[in-house]
Amino acid sequence: MPPDNVAFMRAAYTVALVVYALYAVTLWRRRARVRKELQRLSD
Amino acid sequence: MTTPAARTAAPTAPSTARGGPDLLLAAAVIAVAAALVHAVYFTPTEAVQGPAQKIFYLHVSSAIVALYLGFGLLALTSAVYLWLREERVDRMAESAAEVGLVFMSVVLLTGPIWAKPIWGTWWTWDARLTLTLFTWLIVLGYLTLRNAIEDRAQRARYSAVLGILAGLLVPFIHLSTTMFRTLHPQPILLKPSAPSMPHEMVMSWMYAQGAFVLLFVALLRARYRYGEERDRLRALRGEEV
Repeated sequence: MPPDNVAFMRAAYTVALVVYALYAVTLWRRRARVRKELQRLSD
Repeated sequence: MTTPAARTAAPTAPSTARGGPDLLLAAAVIAVAAALVHAVYFTPTEAVQGPAQKIFYLHVSSAIVALYLGFGLLALTSAVYLWLREERVDRMAESAAEVGLVFMSVVLLTGPIWAKPIWGTWWTWDARLTLTLFTWLIVLGYLTLRNAIEDRAQRARYSAVLGILAGLLVPFIHLSTTMFRTLHPQPILLKPSAPSMPHEMVMSWMYAQGAFVLLFVALLRARYRYGEERDRLRALRGEEV
């Protein structure tokens, strides 16, 4: 019977998803800030 | 000896064509979610390691992307920059370093979580883990260096040297399990003979690998465009790009 270590699997998937999501959101916010400033300068 | 000036683009009006939703990133997120659901719920559990083995689909896929796409592209574009001195190539190197570092961070975080139930320890200073951490630190240093130097051409030139150094470590990381005694298993997938895994697990890994490659491409494209827009903004403000 396989060992019961499902908590480690869940922890790893959670950590990975949090890191990828945080980076995507950070990048999206940086781009939005720069675009807003570019738009302001062009108006 | 004078340094050839990097070729820079003249500031232009902001592009509005790229202001919409990032469909490629949305597709990548859906692909990653589908691949991981398939790996967790529709792939057999390995008999010896148990559910913890399913970290493989996340850890190995992210590692392959970080090493061969992220840091490989960083080294390649860094070398090309030193040759051509093209601003776009430097921006691509910067983007590959940042996105590659994110993928490698996931590798360094999920590895210990997998190691604890299987090896009985969170971390060991063997060749692969140490080299991987060292490469991660070099790329972190690369990004720190970029923030520390104001002169654009100098920043690109110095960081390109560091980028090449990071890339030179990639083959050593790949070969570290065969060159040194290590707790890491011998290559299971990327080896001359057939993968040492059941077909269903190989297929699940292939789905996950494809999804993570798509995620890398989507994030790289978004990061490159951010770099373009940031440099355009700096040029419009009359700052050093």
